Amino acid sequence: MIVLGIESATAQVGCALGGVEGVFASFHASRGRRHAETLVPAIEFVCRSARIEFREISVVAVDIGPGLFTGLRVGIATAKAMASALRVPVIGMSSLDLLAHQVRHSPRLIVPVIDARRGEVFSATYRHVQGGIQRLSDPKVGTAAELANDLRATNSESLLIGDGAIRYASELAEEGAKVEIGSVGMQWPSAGDLVELAHPRALREEFIQPSELQPLYLRKADAEINWEQRSA
Amino acid sequence: MIHATTSGPEQTRELAAAIAQLVKSGDVVLLAGELGAGKTCFTQGFGRALGIEETITSPTFTLMRPYEGRLRLLHADVYRLEHLQEIVDLGIGELVDDDAVAVIEWGDMAEPVLPADFLEVRITYDDDPNSDEAVSDEVRMFDLRIVGASWGNRTVALQRALVPWVTGP
Repeated sequence: MIVLGIESATAQVGCALGGVEGVFASFHASRGRRHAETLVPAIEFVCRSARIEFREISVVAVDIGPGLFTGLRVGIATAKAMASALRVPVIGMSSLDLLAHQVRHSPRLIVPVIDARRGEVFSATYRHVQGGIQRLSDPKVGTAAELANDLRATNSESLLIGDGAIRYASELAEEGAKVEIGSVGMQWPSAGDLVELAHPRALREEFIQPSELQPLYLRKADAEINWEQRSA
Repeated sequence: MIHATTSGPEQTRELAAAIAQLVKSGDVVLLAGELGAGKTCFTQGFGRALGIEETITSPTFTLMRPYEGRLRLLHADVYRLEHLQEIVDLGIGELVDDDAVAVIEWGDMAEPVLPADFLEVRITYDDDPNSDEAVSDEVRMFDLRIVGASWGNRTVALQRALVPWVTGP
């Protein structure tokens, strides 16, 4: 079973192809912010590099955030379009799960932190368990200072990973805090990890139809725009 | 609140340019006012001061359009939208973080989903045909409302920049 992974929830855009043997080919670009222009040619490139035809793809996996709207839109729209055209199901995966996966062997409290812009970060907490990681808290959005307070309250040794952790390192890892910041090499979710994590789920048929795929929004706005109030 | 008055479109562009001299990366300017108030005219003057040479047109049907200048200008219009989530989806907050400023037409309607840190420019005009003929229909009144610390720190600078058009406290 061959999985195509699409990851574009952050400033990075990436894709990968893989199966039971692991990742066959992957591509990532973290500079330029041209997700829409980069993604589809990159998918063609990884397919060609791995000598895989589009019709051999069985599942499309995609990072559904939380992340940047501009990137998420490109990734999710591309995943839906490709899966619909290929008549295959999709698997959505959280960007925070993907980041945490990179440091799953750490005994510390694992905290993926994604830069949400304008002083805010997306985060959640995880811990190592036999065979993987377990999420301890729901994903949330807040300022770096709020996250620093939360972490101080847990009083645990924590490992922060992601572009948000690096950007706000001075606020998050201030004097006395039991916090370590993960290296720049692990600051983005990896499309390869996405494929690796999606493959067993695909085997268990834990997938959905392309039309059901939704981004994971933490900044929710449920109301209609109040145009009537304006004209009053 | 700062109040100002201009006598026509060219003065409106000059007033907008004076405001644009004070903007920095990450700023959000909300434009409020009825159709024909001069929101796009304001944005043209604003963009010119940012060194944008391209012609700025109303983004009502494109929702948002970027222009390259001293800072990138994101010119958005939420008039066609119905749901606040659609405004969130434009991602204006994250886009201005990359050396850009946003000018949002009908932006007052977006206030519930924007960070509380912006300059609101409300443009009004006297559209009563029976009113005093001495007031030209090209005259525009501006009410500037400052929300948040970032613009708050520039209140005095704004007042100074708008002296030629200021009409009240």
